[in-house]
Amino acid sequence: MRFVFRRLGFFVVTLWAAVTLNFLIPRLMPGNAAIAMMARYKGRLNPQALHALEIAFGVNADLIYLGNIARGHFGTSLTFFPDTVAHQVLQALPWTLALVGVTTVMAFVLGTFIGLVSAWRRGTALDGALPPLFVITSAFPYFWLALLAIWLFSIKLGWFPPSGGYDVTTTVGWNWTFVSDSLNHSVLPAATILVTAIGGWILTMRNNTITVLTEDYVRMARAKGLKPWRIMWTYAGRNAILPNLVGFAMSLGFVVGGAILVEYVFNYPGVGWMFLQSVENQDYALMQALFLLITVAVLLAILAADVATAFLDPRTRERG
Amino acid sequence: MSLPSVADSVRPAGATVGSGPPEEATRRTAGGDLFRAVAHNRKALAGVGLLLGFVVLALFPGQIAPDDPRAKIYTPGLGPSWHHLFGTTAYGEDVFSQLVWGTRQSLLIAVLVGGLATVIGVVVGVSAGYLGGTTDGILSLITDVILVIPIFPLIIVIAAYERNSGFFMLVIVLGLLGWSYGARQLRSQTLSLRTRDFLEAALVRGERKSYVIVKEILPTMTSLIVASFLGAAVYAVLFAAGLQFIGLGDPNSQSWGTMLYWAENNEALGAGMTYWAIMPGVFVALLGAGFALLNYAFDEISSPALRLRKLETTGVDAEQETAVPIRPPDQKNILEVRDLSVAYASDHGPVVAVDRVSFELGRGEFLGIVGESACGKSTLVYAIARLLGAPLAGEITGGQVLFKGRDMVTLAEKELRHIRWRDYSVVMQSAMNALNPVLTVADQMRDACEAHSTMSKREIEERSKEVLRLVSIDPVHLHSYPHQLSGGMRQRAMIAMALLFTPELIVMDEPTSALDVVGQRSLMVQIKELQERLGFAVIFVTHDMSLVRHFSNRLLVMYAAQVAELGQTRQVFARPLHPYTTGLLEAFPSIHGPKEHLLGIPGQPPDLLRPPAGCRFAPRCPHAVDRCRVEPPALYRVDGELVRCFLHEQAEEPVAVSTEGVA
Repeated sequence: MRFVFRRLGFFVVTLWAAVTLNFLIPRLMPGNAAIAMMARYKGRLNPQALHALEIAFGVNADLIYLGNIARGHFGTSLTFFPDTVAHQVLQALPWTLALVGVTTVMAFVLGTFIGLVSAWRRGTALDGALPPLFVITSAFPYFWLALLAIWLFSIKLGWFPPSGGYDVTTTVGWNWTFVSDSLNHSVLPAATILVTAIGGWILTMRNNTITVLTEDYVRMARAKGLKPWRIMWTYAGRNAILPNLVGFAMSLGFVVGGAILVEYVFNYPGVGWMFLQSVENQDYALMQALFLLITVAVLLAILAADVATAFLDPRTRERG
Repeated sequence: MSLPSVADSVRPAGATVGSGPPEEATRRTAGGDLFRAVAHNRKALAGVGLLLGFVVLALFPGQIAPDDPRAKIYTPGLGPSWHHLFGTTAYGEDVFSQLVWGTRQSLLIAVLVGGLATVIGVVVGVSAGYLGGTTDGILSLITDVILVIPIFPLIIVIAAYERNSGFFMLVIVLGLLGWSYGARQLRSQTLSLRTRDFLEAALVRGERKSYVIVKEILPTMTSLIVASFLGAAVYAVLFAAGLQFIGLGDPNSQSWGTMLYWAENNEALGAGMTYWAIMPGVFVALLGAGFALLNYAFDEISSPALRLRKLETTGVDAEQETAVPIRPPDQKNILEVRDLSVAYASDHGPVVAVDRVSFELGRGEFLGIVGESACGKSTLVYAIARLLGAPLAGEITGGQVLFKGRDMVTLAEKELRHIRWRDYSVVMQSAMNALNPVLTVADQMRDACEAHSTMSKREIEERSKEVLRLVSIDPVHLHSYPHQLSGGMRQRAMIAMALLFTPELIVMDEPTSALDVVGQRSLMVQIKELQERLGFAVIFVTHDMSLVRHFSNRLLVMYAAQVAELGQTRQVFARPLHPYTTGLLEAFPSIHGPKEHLLGIPGQPPDLLRPPAGCRFAPRCPHAVDRCRVEPPALYRVDGELVRCFLHEQAEEPVAVSTEGVA
């Protein structure tokens, strides 16, 4: 139980830190961006929008800000005025979940598998070539790879559309044309995220597995004459994936950062693209809400990783 | 043996022995040999090469770039040519010159952010790990929170308020947010170091904490600190380029990210100015790759398990294989080991961990193998069981292991699998490590049964309970996880597992050393009872001679990879022939005999990489004469026993490389 409470405490502190950063950053900046902003917009905006700014920067204390957020009041968007921030965010969210969520999980699962096999087949040509290759690809800038993909597969070859999440001429909804069209639009951004994110998982899983392979229980499994695949999965793999799950959770913040840029390059109608739009338009209420959302998403993913760890590791289960 | 050797790990059988205490050895490796390790690592060399190239570009851009990067003097949008290697921009500037001049900023960002993040990471990580308690709690919480908060969006938020902020603002923000990953690793490394002897010694000496941290802890973590610097540098290069690309940097600065920003704004890719849009990314990727390759190499250097070493058999005496006479196995022996040799690969060449060892084991016999740690006894038994592999990563370089008439050395892994566990099983030192922590005892018994029989689920369950009862464990514990059992129960459970198929041979590697004296005793009694009841033969490895005194039929004393003495247990105890055996006997108290002064053996076993020229025990032997230091003694037969010592030369003829039958 202590373990669960400690974890919950960690989530609360992290959330609090994110909210406070949101609250403090505009006030700590030289020249006080908040006051400058208020002055700039006075007289140019209607009272409602001004109120949105007040919520974000005004005289309200941290606690009031916290209270508003807890009730889901993120204010009004300037970019999509007079729509509320909450409504805008809810529109963009499914796109990002479908693209970034699916590809991140895919990268993790595939990368973990390749890393395991690579460590198992240590010293073979496959294992000799993979790690250096992925060390290099994991140093690629996401956005640059996205540009490269657009140039090659849409400008030169014309296989996939260069930007957007769907063809604007189709009707949005659960019909075949729309679904297949949006899938077609998601191939390039998904591939970009996959290629850049997978390297890290391959490398860490490979290294974990190599360490686990020196454990006595792996030698014991060999001594028992178990089939190699059984040793690889339930003895090496299941133990090596435990630290990788923690690593997965810990590095999600980085992955999300890269995914934002991919959405930006592809003009993909998700949270990341909207985030950068809000920065461009100085729509601070929307920007802050999105930053919080991204933090919460990362925390939820960590929670999922915690649950998965507890499921795979009986020792953690007991501590909880 | 085609097993790849991954040596230099836990027990490289004498590789570190004789070069000072283990801590001393690790410390030296971490600090001084770093340069040599980098020079021997291909990935590290590639990384260093890339980085050096960029350093040259950053230092002398004026000499290398053909043009002023801002001179808008050419035709816009030119393709690549001899003068314009990568064409021109939409503004008529030379792309290559811009790239060269942009290097300086990216490299500077990488180095400054890497440095700042590393300093913070070291201070926070080491203090958290070393000071512990509340300090650790608070610092770790801060570290985790910063690690988890999505840094890139946060930087964007900051940059959004502080638009076009200068170069140093960027460095400080990236540095302040990028230290947490390194700090986490440094903390856990410090934690593991804290209880080491050399730190305690420093504290006992009365050194100040700050002195201990700077002089004792930091040098041992050199490679980890370098790794955290390189990791932060990669992240800085990527994030800075990303920020500049989306227009949150200074649009007038000379950097690769800014180039990408302008290229994107002018739709360079669509407009045919391909190199303008692509080359800055290539440079970012190459710089990042340089740091990442070096980082990866350091990872390998700091954890030796990741390094793959091939054993070079040159230098290892490979002639022994022909020296083994072809002779049919004796039917009353279940196992005959003939001239078995095992070697490890090490940084300094092959290490012979088992040197031409021969012995025989009768059916139902109990053989004890004793010797100090790192004398090769574990390597020997794992070589016999064909279980070498990291961390005991030796290769059999010669000899035969005839088990029930078949040579185990030449069996393929597939053939071995069929006889493993059915015909011989293994019990290891610590069940805590030898049982898979994520499977229940029942699971681990079941997979062995499924691998070798067609028993039904019910039958497997019944058999599992039956063997648990054999070792006096209540079958209710069958579905427990290893960590739920007590130490003694775990060892018994492992022995129960070894009995599943009632094999004819059980190899036991110090199965009791994880237990207290009382537990050891009762487990020994139980093993002996089971052995007499079920009739299996036992090879029992231990460093404690008194433990096997009343249980083993014969004793094999190993010293520095060789057989020192082999004989009937009773005889060895009553009249030890080898001075080393005498020393071992004097090192352990007798349970029944009168009070004696324990002598022990002065000195340490030799470094097997460079064994002494003569008798390997000579440097520590009270009876050594000049001859012992130059001429290696053979095995001599004395009253049916074998001993490797010149003292007994006149007593009998030397045994021709010990291949004759042993009584």
